[in-house]
Amino acid sequence: MKVSVTVNGVPQEHEVEPRTLLVYYIREVVGLTGTNIGCDTSSCGACTVLVDGESVKSCTMLAVQADGAEITTIEGLAGSDGQMHPMQEAFREKHALQCGYCTPGMVMAAVSLLKEHPHPTEAEVREGLEGNLCRCTGYHNIVEAVLHAASTGSVSA
Amino acid sequence: MRFVGESVTRVEDRRILTGRGHYIDDVRLPGMLHAAFLRSPFAHARITRMDTTEARNLPGVVAVLTGADIEAVTVPIQVMPQFPDFNSPVYQAMATDRVRFVGDPVAIVVAQSRYVAEDALELINVEYDPMRPVVSFEDAQDPNCPRIFDDIEGNVLYRSNSTHGDVDAAFAAADTVIHETFRQSRQANVPMETRGAVADFDPGSGDLTYYAATQSPQGCRFQLATYLNHPIDRVRVLSGDVGGGFGLKGPVHREDISLAAASRIVGRPIKWIEDRNEHLQASGHARDEQIEVEAAVTSDGRLLGLKARLLIDQGAFPCLPYAAVLFPNMIRDLLPGPYRFGAMSFEGLVLATNKCWNPPYRGPWEIETWVRERLMDVIAHRLGMDPADIRRANMFDGDEEDRSITGQHLAGITSRQSLERALDLAGYSAIRAAQELARREERLLGVGFATFLEAAPGPKENRVIPEDARVRLESNGHLLVMTPQGPHGQGHETTLAQIAADAMGLPLDHVRVVHGDTRQTPMNLIGTGGSRASTWASGSVMVTTRKVREKALGVAAAMMEIDASDLDIVDGMVVPAGAPSKAMPLSAIAMTAYLAPETLPPGTDHHLEAQETFTGDGVGGSGWSGGTHLCVVEIDRETGRVEIVRYVVVEDCGQIINPAIVEGQIRGGVAQGIAGVLYEKAAYDAEGQFLAGTFMDYLLPTATEIPSIEIDHLESVPVEGLDIRGVGEGGALVAPAALTNAIEDALVPLGVTINEQYLPPSRIMELTRMVPA
Repeated sequence: MKVSVTVNGVPQEHEVEPRTLLVYYIREVVGLTGTNIGCDTSSCGACTVLVDGESVKSCTMLAVQADGAEITTIEGLAGSDGQMHPMQEAFREKHALQCGYCTPGMVMAAVSLLKEHPHPTEAEVREGLEGNLCRCTGYHNIVEAVLHAASTGSVSA
Repeated sequence: MRFVGESVTRVEDRRILTGRGHYIDDVRLPGMLHAAFLRSPFAHARITRMDTTEARNLPGVVAVLTGADIEAVTVPIQVMPQFPDFNSPVYQAMATDRVRFVGDPVAIVVAQSRYVAEDALELINVEYDPMRPVVSFEDAQDPNCPRIFDDIEGNVLYRSNSTHGDVDAAFAAADTVIHETFRQSRQANVPMETRGAVADFDPGSGDLTYYAATQSPQGCRFQLATYLNHPIDRVRVLSGDVGGGFGLKGPVHREDISLAAASRIVGRPIKWIEDRNEHLQASGHARDEQIEVEAAVTSDGRLLGLKARLLIDQGAFPCLPYAAVLFPNMIRDLLPGPYRFGAMSFEGLVLATNKCWNPPYRGPWEIETWVRERLMDVIAHRLGMDPADIRRANMFDGDEEDRSITGQHLAGITSRQSLERALDLAGYSAIRAAQELARREERLLGVGFATFLEAAPGPKENRVIPEDARVRLESNGHLLVMTPQGPHGQGHETTLAQIAADAMGLPLDHVRVVHGDTRQTPMNLIGTGGSRASTWASGSVMVTTRKVREKALGVAAAMMEIDASDLDIVDGMVVPAGAPSKAMPLSAIAMTAYLAPETLPPGTDHHLEAQETFTGDGVGGSGWSGGTHLCVVEIDRETGRVEIVRYVVVEDCGQIINPAIVEGQIRGGVAQGIAGVLYEKAAYDAEGQFLAGTFMDYLLPTATEIPSIEIDHLESVPVEGLDIRGVGEGGALVAPAALTNAIEDALVPLGVTINEQYLPPSRIMELTRMVPA
């Protein structure tokens, strides 16, 4: 089946098997490997991307279901000048990543969270990121990073 | 400026945060195929028939290889046969005639895509004749149970017995003997990146390049060469970013050997990335252990002696190369912890069962801390003493002559200071007062704490395995630091650069740390594990960088005609003492050494590269990391939910290279320790069927379950030399003890003793008798 999407602002059009998951499409067909796969069963959130601005676990969705959508992946967050997105900067500054495998999904989920709640409480941040598992950090610094990004008020996807 | 001691932001972060990390699944090679393993659905069975014809005929399938095909081209595995008294079975990389756990690989499909490979798995017909599974401690010790390995009598693979001091006298002198059996449950490392690899055998050159997600590139290379019987000079292991491991990716897995063998058979690169279900059932489990303990105590709370019997369920196959047999004697040695008592007897058994194997998991000897610290609280509660006082009464001060009953030299330990500091920071008496009030309202509020010691690197007499680094000053004056470590989240590219930058006198961004290419890095079988990096990798980088600095200063001295002892390197400039205006950039020195060595006076050593061994010489301080964790919980009677109200850490890991990274390690370890108590269980049923194959069954904690964790450091008194100690495992070692102590403390009004570690709400409600057990 044919799928036409925009990924990080670049139009893409490919023939895919109907059973192809969106995350495989992004990684294997479009060739953007920043989005990681952690579970295949929509539990861990490592593969979180933005589909039409909403955070989506891209292993939950078939590529063909995304037809016509605008997709943003972790590669699309930094500016074209290489300037990192404020959320990426906050993660670096607060040491919110260790192995980094969950990080792209976590950053995308956090960007989406602040779009919906620009000034969350700590509890709201924790609840908002509940769908994203991290095995290294104990979440402490991730929560700090998101609160820090929120306090600078500069996050918009 | 000095970098050691600063929370500099990590070198690794930019690439990872922008989606340019290089994890194993990101490797793409021309002509690369994809593999999937068919796994046993039975815990214990004979394979009576296997037909792969239909699978082989599926379009897109390149090969279907069975256990027999892999056996034909590999060397049988036998782990540590030289380990005294270890009955080490011989086994194959894949099952041949018999399967020994749910998830045991029986065939590997190689196809054009993972999708096709998985389709083909369903077309392989295997007939099994089920056998009685060996599932429990009791089964494994029962001589009537079938043996799992034909070459081993019974299923007890190892037994260790020892007596220290006069145990009979200690028990004869006791006012009370406390007898408990403390049981842990099966947990797993579960890194967010599953296992995976790309094996690339080049039939032209005979080179095998193995792209690995490993904690030990050189260890991986060594084992692959051994079990594939492939010349080690023709095996190269490459690893990039590794998405977590916690011990799991230190071993070489049977799938690694099978995959590399498959590539050699097929003559093309093959990628294998396991899915989460495979990972949960077949990658590794740990902590399936118990200790039955008797403690001889006096009525005023002095511990006189211990009798301990340890059982470890290691699953079917001894893990390669870190079999569980390594752990009983470590557990024995560490069980007395920081406490003074005069006698101990110990028996430790390693048992084979029809379950997944047992790789190291973050502090693989953790049960010593849990049982000892649990026991201290049980003793306190039985004697009506405060758990703080019972520790105070028995704890060593860290004097020069202090030595535990198992011979551990404890000079310089700061256990007592950490205990007092934690109680102080948390406001212990205020917590007890709040508890008093809560109890009047029938609320279940509890406080628990626990103290641990971690031999990272351990006292001088215990240090055995040295480590090398290679360092090269490049022609632009930048430093390349090559380490055999296999970092997987610890930030070695940052911390080792901090060490090297200070040792050389360079800006941080003039140092690049290289790991994960066995053609460049020195040999070391362990890589990253055992909290070694802080001391051993740092030490090796320090001594090797100093050597390169000496060489660079030798060249500079010749060029500048100034004695080397009058030269310093500051921020990348070679500066003569008292004449800063005559400074020369290091790049000019290096450029001359590389491009015009003939202009230097004869005899000048112009090779600006060194490989040095760090043997632990010059390490000051006690060698013991350690600390005390304190936890406050409130338990909801209605739901059995344990809420962690506060979690306080007091940690002593010596000099800190990067506080942010150290605290990250502590918090991550604590999270795993908490999770093992409240959420995670790699459960099997009575038939050995695996029950926790998805994240809906094996519950990793989320951001809503892990509390904020307060951390204080006791950087113990500065000493001469290097005093950087490991910090990777402490959090995971002690958190289960602190948390279960708090839970028991909360349940004191109900007279509950906690002797099991896994305490989900359903179990709490049984213990509080809200529901029948």
